Amino acid sequence: MIAQLLTLIRREFWEHRSIWVTPLAIGILVTLGVMAMLVFASGFAKELDLAIFGAQNLTGDNERRIGLILFFLGTSWIFLIALAFLIVFYTLDSLYTERKDKSILFWRSLPVTDAETVVSKLLTAVFVLPLIMCAGIFVTHLINLILTSIWVAAKGGAAGALIWGSVPIIDTWLFTLVVVISGAIWMSPFIGWFLLVSAWTKRMPLLVAFMPIIVVPLLEWIVFRTRFFASAVGERNDNLPIFRGMDVEDFFEDKEWMHSIQELRLLEFLDIGKFLTHPETWLGIIVCGLLTTAAIYVRRFRDES
Amino acid sequence: MTSLVTARGVSKHFGSVRAVDDVSFEIDRGRILGLIGPNGAGKTTLLKALLGLTDCEGDLSVLGLDPFRQRKKLMQNICFIADVAVLPRWIKVRQLLDYVEGVHPNFSRKSAETYLTQTQIRPEAKVRELSKGMVTQLHLCIIMAIDAKLLVLDEPTLGLDILFRKEFYANLLNDYFDEERTILVTTHQVEEIENLLTDIMFINDGKILLDSTMDALSDTYVEVMATGEDAQRARGLGPIAETEMFGKSVMLFEGVSREHLEGLGEIRIPSVADLFVAKIKEARK
Repeated sequence: MIAQLLTLIRREFWEHRSIWVTPLAIGILVTLGVMAMLVFASGFAKELDLAIFGAQNLTGDNERRIGLILFFLGTSWIFLIALAFLIVFYTLDSLYTERKDKSILFWRSLPVTDAETVVSKLLTAVFVLPLIMCAGIFVTHLINLILTSIWVAAKGGAAGALIWGSVPIIDTWLFTLVVVISGAIWMSPFIGWFLLVSAWTKRMPLLVAFMPIIVVPLLEWIVFRTRFFASAVGERNDNLPIFRGMDVEDFFEDKEWMHSIQELRLLEFLDIGKFLTHPETWLGIIVCGLLTTAAIYVRRFRDES
Repeated sequence: MTSLVTARGVSKHFGSVRAVDDVSFEIDRGRILGLIGPNGAGKTTLLKALLGLTDCEGDLSVLGLDPFRQRKKLMQNICFIADVAVLPRWIKVRQLLDYVEGVHPNFSRKSAETYLTQTQIRPEAKVRELSKGMVTQLHLCIIMAIDAKLLVLDEPTLGLDILFRKEFYANLLNDYFDEERTILVTTHQVEEIENLLTDIMFINDGKILLDSTMDALSDTYVEVMATGEDAQRARGLGPIAETEMFGKSVMLFEGVSREHLEGLGEIRIPSVADLFVAKIKEARK
């Protein structure tokens, strides 16, 4: 059972090379960007004597730590934006292409049920893609820390203390992992919807998937002057209930915490219990389950001839 | 029980169109059955019902299972090639073997690799890089490495050149078929496979026109080439079809004994193609 599921997920890696090419490409771009930044910053050697993160004249360890965290989170966001696009294109393609190229007849000639196939694609979208992207983020962080360390050491700085001594690696990584996975679960109703569109539509899955998300709130506003659909669907992305009493946007605008917190710990801002007990989390999972079930039925009952 | 497939009053409707119309038949173990019919006759729909790809009315049992409701279990003992173009074009040969090995309990990777060494197909090649004939070879190598009880082939050699077609059926017969295995094949090129078949079934407008063993066929159907008065006398015996060839009348008889026909002209066993054409014309009268 597990071995079969792993085979089905491996298949997704073969078909959708973007699953691993995207994090690899972004990792290379970020690394090149950091290298360019190091070269550029070294031109201001007097102001920043050991280039950005190794700079001894940054006012203190806490500031360096915050600088590094912001660098970590900043590069992570590039990956996460790519992850959102990747999930959309992957899910919309996953049950559509096999019908278009008729390979569905081959896949269905093997002892794998429609439910097993669709669930393997759901699990790939909700867990595997985010985990691969997280791995890409972590490897990119490590490579960039190593590059920066070499740069600082080459300039005569104590890289061990200046870079590694002030980096909250595990804290940032766990924070990223929890936010990414909970975010994927939170957005899973969309993933279920994309799977259903992918199994059902005869053409243009991207258009068919996004049309209702744009048109339904418009119609609702014109007809009823209400915004239930828009707030439930359109704004879901902004309301991930995992942050402890803070708004992500305010987090960076409110500078108070920079001075009041001696040692910043990102994990302290997370409340996994709140996420797991939030009714909308479970409502989302149920909606995702219903839409995925519908996708399974469409794949099973549709006659392609 | 030697019946592998039992169908009793099986029908399938698409709106008002009856693609398969109340058909009943049995397929025994160790047979090679040819399912022959014109385009739109209901062949593919019937095969899809047998493979559990579509639901149908009536009683249908394949290997003692309900194909639509027990499809996963059924697919462990059935293989099918729908037509030549269904292997995913992006996949590598090696990945295809990995995949089938991972999901099919009755697949022998070693056998598949042995069959592949007899072809020009490289393990690292992608399906899109292979010719149509090679894709079919690859599919056949995989199918032959699966220990299945029933193999269903729906136009397996469509669009292939004659060399690949001959090789395909030779491999199937020599390396795959045995008394425990059953093959169900549909094709337009019936003349190429009629020597392989043990049984034959004609289907038209969703109904079965003929269901017979090949041995019984030569006992039941006789063709006579006659001229002049002999032709007139033969016509009096009620042929089911008559054509002109080189100035002679070629008449096809059903259920008329050879003794009655001897002396009227040259007697021969009709080809399946001729019989098929006669039966279809008879049905459309």
